Amino acid sequence: MIHSTQTDDGIIIVRPGVQRLTAVNSKAFKDEIVALIDAGNSEFVIDFTSTTFLDSSGLGALAGVLKKIGHRGDLAVCGLGPDVMQMFTICRMDRVFSIYPDEAAALRALSEKS
Amino acid sequence: MREQIEIIVAEDNVVQRAYMCRLIENVGFDFFKVLEAEDGAVALELLKTSRAEILITDYQMPRLNGVELTRAVRSLDLGRYIHIILITGTETGDYGVRADALDAGADDFLNKQDDPTGLKARLTTAMRLIDHGKELEEQHRVLKEANDRINEDLAAAAHAQRNLLPDINTDILGAHIASAFVPSSVVSGDMFGCFPLNDSQIGFYAVDVSGHGIRASLLSVAIGYLITPEFFVKSVLDEDGIPRPARLVRELNARFCTDVHDDYFTMFCGVMDTQRIKVFYCQAGYPSPYYVDAQGNVTRIGSGGFPVGMFGDADYEDGVIGVDLDGMLLCCSDGAFEAENDEGIPFGEPRMEKIVKEIYRDPADKVPEKIIKALADWRGRKPLEDDLTVVAVKRNMK
Repeated sequence: MIHSTQTDDGIIIVRPGVQRLTAVNSKAFKDEIVALIDAGNSEFVIDFTSTTFLDSSGLGALAGVLKKIGHRGDLAVCGLGPDVMQMFTICRMDRVFSIYPDEAAALRALSEKS
Repeated sequence: MREQIEIIVAEDNVVQRAYMCRLIENVGFDFFKVLEAEDGAVALELLKTSRAEILITDYQMPRLNGVELTRAVRSLDLGRYIHIILITGTETGDYGVRADALDAGADDFLNKQDDPTGLKARLTTAMRLIDHGKELEEQHRVLKEANDRINEDLAAAAHAQRNLLPDINTDILGAHIASAFVPSSVVSGDMFGCFPLNDSQIGFYAVDVSGHGIRASLLSVAIGYLITPEFFVKSVLDEDGIPRPARLVRELNARFCTDVHDDYFTMFCGVMDTQRIKVFYCQAGYPSPYYVDAQGNVTRIGSGGFPVGMFGDADYEDGVIGVDLDGMLLCCSDGAFEAENDEGIPFGEPRMEKIVKEIYRDPADKVPEKIIKALADWRGRKPLEDDLTVVAVKRNMK
């Protein structure tokens, strides 16, 4: 379900490919990213520009991805709409995820880190 | 030995009928029991009174012809399928009749001039289809039985879950507490509790487990059993009796954090202290409750907090607000804000705040039902996607 592309620096850009990340599809979302991590990738940008709604299961899957990457790599999220951003705020996810306005800003930040 | 299949032979010509019956008996006397009908109307009556599953009918007959009989059979509700074979002239000679018969619901044809092997082939086909139909029926019965059992279990689980919740309306230490609990399926991932801690403090909590349905309900019920009044007192009150709700949340976080799965829950818990005239609270990802003071000013409580069971190193903060004598505290799970109307637009916070302002003067027991009603009106025919809990706490007695 996810669309992923890789930059020249080896950073994986993931677009969830769904408007709503919910109990229906969050397991597939996580499994597919975990497969990319298991294949040796460690730097990810997840772009939520086209995903306007995350339910509690969607957030759980995203947190699961973050824990899976852990200290071995980096995860940035970008393109959070107002509803998703509000959920991030109320759950303090803004303190655990690196959040950027768009892909370009997220890629720049990851490249500077490494 | 398999059960005999009853076959009706509808044919007005006595000689032809006797000949057909003999042919069928020759194909398999053990398999078939032949019932004779001298015209279409008699055949129709026989179908209703027998257990016949195959009908072999001539086209030309008095009263009802073969096609009319076919149409009449298909409009009956017999509770079993009738395999209909129509005897006509050749395919090319009786093309029009065959087209009509197919339209009426005939399954197969037999040429008048066919030799017995043609009949045998057609009866074999009919039996294969009948067997297949019976297999499906049996599978359907087994599935239905299993499904009924699951539904009964679920209903029992839902009943057990409801019994864990406080009364819908209750008075504790001069505060009135009213609630509404609407699962999106039979069981719910929501849970809440409310009880006196001593003679001046009321403890309360609301929990929303991620996801919904059976899996979420298992965790919500476990939490419901865990947070007893004794557990609450022990983990929340410090040495001086001052409420520290964040302690309880930290304890739950340590208990429920695991890397094995992504389940977690959001929570709001607090203590209404009637001597200090304050509410001490800790917010853990649960939507900020509303506080409406005696003048009708609405504020949201808390600026956020980590969910429970997601990150082991998360920390939680205590908050405190003063409460007026007529002040109302209102907790709504996120199912309330996310409830969508026919066009997919969520109910959202501005609409909720508007309703809160309209109903804050009502007695506490009217508040949850009015919010549930407003959400039902908003959703229209759209079902609830997430569990819904509304709890109103009002200090309205001295």
